[in-house]
Amino acid sequence: MSSPEGQVFDLGYRHYDGPREGRTRARRALFVNGVRTCFGLGRGAWAKVLPVLFLVAVMAPAAVLSIMAGLLGEVFADVLDLPGPQDYYAIVSPILLIFAAIIAPELLCSDRKSGVINLYLVRPLSSNDYVASRWLSFFAVSLVFIYAGQVVLLAGLAMGSEEPFAYLQENWAHVPRFLLAGLAIAAVTTTIPLAAASLTTRRAYASLAVIGLFVVTTVVVAALSQIDCITSPDVEQSTSGQQANSDSTPETSLAVMLGSGGPAELDNSNTVCEPELGIVGRWARLLDFGGIPLQISDLIFGEYEEELTPETELIPLPPSVAVVWWIVIVSVPAAVLWSRYRRLVT
Amino acid sequence: MPPLLEATDLTKRYGSTLALDSVNFTVERGITGLLGPNGAGKSTAMKLFLGLLIPTSGSATVMGEKPYENVMARTHLGYMPEHECLPLSLTATEFLAHMAQISGLPTGAARSRTADILRHVGLDEERYRSMGEYSTGMKQRVKLAQALVHDPEMVFLDEPTAGLDPVGREEMLALIRRTGKEFGISIMLSTHLMGDVETTCDRIIVLEGGEVTEAGDVSGFTAESETVYIDVYDDVESLIAALSARGLEASVDGVSVAVEGVGDTEYDQIRDALVEAGSRLRRLGPRRRRLSDIFRDGSE
Repeated sequence: MSSPEGQVFDLGYRHYDGPREGRTRARRALFVNGVRTCFGLGRGAWAKVLPVLFLVAVMAPAAVLSIMAGLLGEVFADVLDLPGPQDYYAIVSPILLIFAAIIAPELLCSDRKSGVINLYLVRPLSSNDYVASRWLSFFAVSLVFIYAGQVVLLAGLAMGSEEPFAYLQENWAHVPRFLLAGLAIAAVTTTIPLAAASLTTRRAYASLAVIGLFVVTTVVVAALSQIDCITSPDVEQSTSGQQANSDSTPETSLAVMLGSGGPAELDNSNTVCEPELGIVGRWARLLDFGGIPLQISDLIFGEYEEELTPETELIPLPPSVAVVWWIVIVSVPAAVLWSRYRRLVT
Repeated sequence: MPPLLEATDLTKRYGSTLALDSVNFTVERGITGLLGPNGAGKSTAMKLFLGLLIPTSGSATVMGEKPYENVMARTHLGYMPEHECLPLSLTATEFLAHMAQISGLPTGAARSRTADILRHVGLDEERYRSMGEYSTGMKQRVKLAQALVHDPEMVFLDEPTAGLDPVGREEMLALIRRTGKEFGISIMLSTHLMGDVETTCDRIIVLEGGEVTEAGDVSGFTAESETVYIDVYDDVESLIAALSARGLEASVDGVSVAVEGVGDTEYDQIRDALVEAGSRLRRLGPRRRRLSDIFRDGSE
């Protein structure tokens, strides 16, 4: 009986004659790599901390709201006017903007800083393929973060209601709305930070610039959006008779209670509001880059209020202007991004 | 079949700087050295063949295709840049598998090629460590590995020995020779070090100031100018006279007599001259002239 003997073969160099899938594979690999980078996958534990924190942060308000709605019951929730799917993007918008500003530049800056970009661009891949794949990967990641809260909210509200299936049947229309509105938001949170990242190899600079842009514009727009409301006395007198008959809304009765010293019959319909700064105030929201997609969201949810009331916080743009302006603030950064990468190969 | 690489009136201008001035050459299979001082246009020439740059005029083709017009022409090319190009937070395995996929290999094939190539460049043990912890030599080997991971037909190595100590440099050159001879991958190697070309390359293209000044086989460069050194016990005058009478170019070089341009027939003549002069021979041997001598002559 012979003892088993091992033999070592030096196979030498083996050539690869399997399939080469070219651009399709390259684009896909860049997309997957981009998504993994955003979530810190394949890297150390620290790289995962930030994405997880952000994910928790965008879902937490939804969890709190649905628990509150469940505890209070439908009637009280309605009276308190708890925020619903139509308001949710406005609540988490600052988190989404900060998330995009911090994470997105990582996808472009580090490739140029480390020099990997030169290895990409000598492979079967054009600079357009590269930019498009990176853009799509962050767009997809943005959508995950954008939709996560809505899904939790919808599921939470359904489970908290007495008849979950009935609730879903009644409210299914929210689903296509939040999906569509999410796309409008993701287009902005993807394109602006990536365009900033294309201008510098320092990720921190790009992040600060984007956060700065969103914060500064928010503050400026808030300052320019002051409104003046005048209640015409004539109108007040002529309608005071009807006032007694009409149901007073909770808001007006609240205003009456709080309106110490003011005219007892305060009614919005008699009040004319104007931007304090006139035309400047009227158009100030053009600067509200972070808020434009929320106006699109309001349009999609049918919540768009063009009329100024004493409750108006920010003066809205006319709907058509909001849509055109949304296209502009997506396409201009997209053009910057595209041309920056086109110029890498000259 | 079109040549592997062909430069036709290849010109590249950066603003007012002319990096390559209407250069013409072809490169066949094997290891080709692109030699020249810094700023001679070596990197520019490589980047044109890789499609990282677009020619100002003329053309650079790889197997008949222009890689700056058709990205698929780069499927069978590899590139090892001179400068840093590694994402240091990744492990070598993850990075190489990713780059293989970017070159079009499916996931499974990318993984097995990664393992193979890391073994070939001698980074088997360290493959799961992040590249930030690597030494310069190891980083250079990963840079070479990523250029080979998709099994290209041709790789461009831009100053692959830059920054390496003598041992590391010798190891890198040995690896490059293996890549060329054993793996059968054609190589274009740029360097400003003559020694690299001499020990590694089959052919050489010399670039200076954006122009090709010389091109040909490395063996031709060194063999044509083989010099034989003769040491004798007696005085050298009669020997030199006997050599000169036979039309050989002989001169005194230190204690030896140096005879230039010696081939097979000249050896017989040297033997006859030694007999005629009655010189007692102590030592006779060829010394290959180094490429550096050629360039020292050229620049004088």
